[in-house]
Amino acid sequence: MTWTIFKGMFRKTAITLTRYAFNTGSQIVTFYIVFCLIFFGARALGGAVDMGETLEGILVGYFVWMLAIMAYSDLSWHVANEAQMGTLEQMYLSPAGFHWVNAAYLLSNLIINLIILSILLALMILTTGQRVVLDLVSIVPLLLLTVAPAYGIGMIMGGMALIYKRVQSSFQILQFVFIAFISVPIGRYPLVRFLPLAQGNYLLRQVMIGGARLWELTGSDLLVVMGVAAVYLGLGILIFRRCERVTRSRGLLGQY
Amino acid sequence: MKSTQPDPESQLREPALVVRGLSKTFYRRGGQPVRAAQDISFSVPEGRIVGLLGPNGAGKSTTIKCILGLVEPDEGEVEVFGTDAARHRRQALSMMSAVLEGSRNIYWRLTPRENMEFFCSLQGHEPSQHREYIEQLLELLNLSEAASQPVRELSQGMKQKVSIGCALARRTPLLFLDEPTLGLDVETTYQMRTLLRELATRQHRTVVISSHDMKVVQSVCSRVIIIKDGRVVADDRTENLLELFRRRTYTLELSGELPEEADRRLRSEFDNVDIKVLSHRTELSVEAARSEELYRLVDILREAGMAIEGIAGEQPDLEKAFLQIIADKTFCGQSREATK
Ligand SMILES: Nc1ncnc2c1ncn2[C@@H]1O[C@H](COP(=O)(O)OP(=O)(O)O)[C@@H](O)[C@H]1O
Ligand SMILES: [Mg+2]
Repeated sequence: MTWTIFKGMFRKTAITLTRYAFNTGSQIVTFYIVFCLIFFGARALGGAVDMGETLEGILVGYFVWMLAIMAYSDLSWHVANEAQMGTLEQMYLSPAGFHWVNAAYLLSNLIINLIILSILLALMILTTGQRVVLDLVSIVPLLLLTVAPAYGIGMIMGGMALIYKRVQSSFQILQFVFIAFISVPIGRYPLVRFLPLAQGNYLLRQVMIGGARLWELTGSDLLVVMGVAAVYLGLGILIFRRCERVTRSRGLLGQY
Repeated sequence: MKSTQPDPESQLREPALVVRGLSKTFYRRGGQPVRAAQDISFSVPEGRIVGLLGPNGAGKSTTIKCILGLVEPDEGEVEVFGTDAARHRRQALSMMSAVLEGSRNIYWRLTPRENMEFFCSLQGHEPSQHREYIEQLLELLNLSEAASQPVRELSQGMKQKVSIGCALARRTPLLFLDEPTLGLDVETTYQMRTLLRELATRQHRTVVISSHDMKVVQSVCSRVIIIKDGRVVADDRTENLLELFRRRTYTLELSGELPEEADRRLRSEFDNVDIKVLSHRTELSVEAARSEELYRLVDILREAGMAIEGIAGEQPDLEKAFLQIIADKTFCGQSREATK
């Protein structure tokens, strides 16, 4: 049953994406332009200001940031939008349970996001001439661990959106908070590694710039990235479930 | 197992839906608590179309959402084909689908066919194996021509039909339609009624339709459950409810003044006697359930020596019955239960 639902969901996502190809296209272009502004801006300032970052670091960080935003907004906006459109209740009527339907949705989108991001990454590498190591065996698992907290935060925001319909306006602010998580140097502030994205981004830089393999990374570093992923994801699921219960009891699932 | 009951079919089969003692109170910040459902109980035999009738705010949607598990009831049990819906929600959901009130229910960016395929898969059915059925539904709903157009381009009535189609595409034996004619114009409402009747005969489903529109329920449902202020105030076969209120109000024009004796007899023997004395004339309106009562009325008047100059009758319908039930605070349980 879950497989059937996943296929149905993937089809729907793909249809919507291609039917509104212009939206998809302009989203990619926006991401690309913003990247160029940041990258070339940093390079121009590079001599004058100490960025504490290499140019390759910006490339990796931007990549992580995009994936995190996509993951996060897939969740929060998805729940809020479906509630607003009046299709959320239909998801809840699936005998598989909403959680599986939602998981199918997230997985469909993750696959599509990764395809879009690969194109973007290629574009970014071509324009900047920066060289990064594309060791997929090391990158993909690390990438998933890195963005897992973004899903957790998305769940918290999505759960809040079920109850407080107006919370949506604060969704976008978090996207900029993510930048802070990524750009604060871990070396200088070690506690930062327990924040979402920070440790994952740090390790991804080791892999994509330093050329390290997944198993060559420090064990304790890997443990932190896994712990952070588990904690934020678990917290997200817990809070989402609580919000669901409140929503059911107050009858807020629909448009009320 | 042998049965000597007069209606063995409905006795043997377990009901499609049993609701027992369902209650729900909403607490709103800074407002009075709203008792949306209070001890609601009813059952729906398999294969029937039952109407939930009640004015706006009566608690119909709340009742439906509680049955579906979208709202958590404070109290009460729900059984779907014998399955406890609270304990085995997923199994119960595999037997129910719904078109909910005031929601889109479907994706406006997709076409009717894509929508139906998607909701079919959401129920866990492989759409490729149900393609023929989906085409059938599109035809039944008169949507074949619009099947490949994005829903957002369709009219309100067509959108509503797509929603119903999507619920049907889930192929569940029990279906809820919450206010299926809400927001439709007169013409489309009429078409929708015809369609719902057709669905009833052709699709062999158990359907619960909620509406505040009497005509929809009267023309489509075999049984009516009337809800008012969160309570069931009547539950009976549609024809019985009609029969219960098959009282005609007659208005008689009499020449001259009604003698006191006749006045007294009329008031003691008939309901809702209203006498207006005009100059040289009396206008008498009386409620009478059967024609014998009308004859008796005429007899009394003749004995009193009154000349009847004109009689006008008023045809009753469920609408009047409904309005009367809704207006009558003491009305409760006057109709007998159609099913156990
Ligand atoms: N989620 C909710 N929170 C607070 N009050 C609600 C909620 N849902 C419904 N109500 C109230 O409960 C009552 C019954 O509503 P509803 O079930 O929608 O009635 P109907 O469908 O018969 O029009 C109404 O007074 C309505 O305002
Ligand atoms: Mg309603």
